[in-house]
Amino acid sequence: MMPAAQADPKKYAVELTGCTKQFPTPGGETYFAVRDINLKVEPGRFVSIVGPTGSGKSTILNMAAGLLSPSVGEVKSFGEAVSGVNRRASYMFQQDPLLPWKTVIDNVSLGLTMAGVSKAEAHSEARRWIEKVGLKNFADRYPHQLSGGMRKRTAVAQAWIVNPDILLMDEPFSALDVQTRQIMENELLQLWQESGKAVVFITHDLDEAIALSDEVVILGAGPGSTVVGSYEIDIPRPRDLLDIRDDPQFVALHREIWGRLKIEVSKTYETAMAEEGEVA
Amino acid sequence: MTLVGSKKNGLSAALDGRGTRRRRRRGDISPLAMRTAQLILTAAVLGAWELSVRTGLVDEFFFPLPSDIFQTVWLWVSSGFVFPHLWITMQEAILAFLVGAAAGLLLGFVLARVRFLERLLDPFLQMFNALPRVVLAPIFLLWFGLGIWSKVAFGFTLVFFIVFFNTLEGVKSVDRVLVDNARMLGASEKQLLRHVFIPSALTWIFSSLHISVGFAITGAVVGEYLGASAGVGYAIAQAQGVFDTKGVFAGMFILMIVVLIIDLLVNRLERHLLRWRPAQSS
Repeated sequence: MMPAAQADPKKYAVELTGCTKQFPTPGGETYFAVRDINLKVEPGRFVSIVGPTGSGKSTILNMAAGLLSPSVGEVKSFGEAVSGVNRRASYMFQQDPLLPWKTVIDNVSLGLTMAGVSKAEAHSEARRWIEKVGLKNFADRYPHQLSGGMRKRTAVAQAWIVNPDILLMDEPFSALDVQTRQIMENELLQLWQESGKAVVFITHDLDEAIALSDEVVILGAGPGSTVVGSYEIDIPRPRDLLDIRDDPQFVALHREIWGRLKIEVSKTYETAMAEEGEVA
Repeated sequence: MTLVGSKKNGLSAALDGRGTRRRRRRGDISPLAMRTAQLILTAAVLGAWELSVRTGLVDEFFFPLPSDIFQTVWLWVSSGFVFPHLWITMQEAILAFLVGAAAGLLLGFVLARVRFLERLLDPFLQMFNALPRVVLAPIFLLWFGLGIWSKVAFGFTLVFFIVFFNTLEGVKSVDRVLVDNARMLGASEKQLLRHVFIPSALTWIFSSLHISVGFAITGAVVGEYLGASAGVGYAIAQAQGVFDTKGVFAGMFILMIVVLIIDLLVNRLERHLLRWRPAQSS
């Protein structure tokens, strides 16, 4: 880290220092989800966290969100310790987070109405966002009347309308088909590009991580995983996601990072096989 | 959306040829034809009953003629005899339902949100719920007298537990992601309740509503039957006292119709409040 960064601790939108999360198991033992995590995300940066299954990616995100508090260590957001939910962050969940009993427009305006904004004002703002994510004609539909991609768009609008400084995304597009996913990734980048928001993006897909991010953080095999590598992605922006996989810079970075990730993935695989062997 | 739905149907139908045929055959019967068939069935059963009583196959004392029963029903209705009784029964049932449902909802929400209380009270609630409620009727008669309040108390014990357990389960089974998402969007505890927990529990509460409305009426009638000075249950007990089986059946019939009408209204309300739910049939 540069000395200037240390001089101003408020500089980091998300700052995890020495964070460990452990749970008691039913057998009376202690299960370490993640161990000694250090993560710094500056405002306006897009950081992806990639790791094998069970490496505690979501645990890290939940600690940054304030939904989980670390057993050891400290979570800060813009220099302030996070206690309770992180007010400056929005969260995009892997699962469908829309309230099924609210229409698209009521779902999108939820964050505003709960903050005390009048319904008329919240709705007009929500309409702007609904139009932005391309659901103009679906404002009065209920979630079950929408396709998976449309529900995701609604969730994007719901998370962005409160204008958060940080966006926490937990494999938000993993449930979508490949084409829809690429379109959504492109739209996400366009939204984010000039927003100045910090993004922490969780994925198990290295391609997706490199294509979107400024920095890719690699987690080791779980349990008790920790950060094993961090890579700067200096592919110039704006990026064309549809062609980026042929970019020589992308290919080189992918080869380098995959070399590291591969080790952790095979460790996870071997552990899983060994456990299966024990059971059998 | 309909496109996706029909496509899915088509696919599953194609996978199961027999299913297709059965579905088509079932679809062939129009609602009107079904109604006619139901009327024919009713007429056949009542006709067989009437005939077997008239030929002396079954004793008229125990199984009065359907035509006589309907005459008694008509007499009770046209003379206005049954309405004061019905009104009393309805009052008891409505009070038992309102108080029981309110208490069940309140306690259900509180216990679902405060884990300590749930664990503390769980064995006691289970114990009271295990008690066959009919045995409480005599003690309620002693406590609250022959008037409507002993029946309200009795109906309360029936309604309360159904609503309580359904609310508890409904609130506890709320999707974790919905709660986390609402909290991240800034929901206070009160807003969580209003936007997430109550609507989510509503489906459970409604599935219990049909049963609890029926139980409220059951409570009132059984209570009246055991000791009262008015009400449909009392009227039935009076008829039984003079071996008037026609009267007993007439009371049963009237109650049946009333409960059906109430159930229809509950259905309407349910369909309105749960309109966000995907249609079950398609």
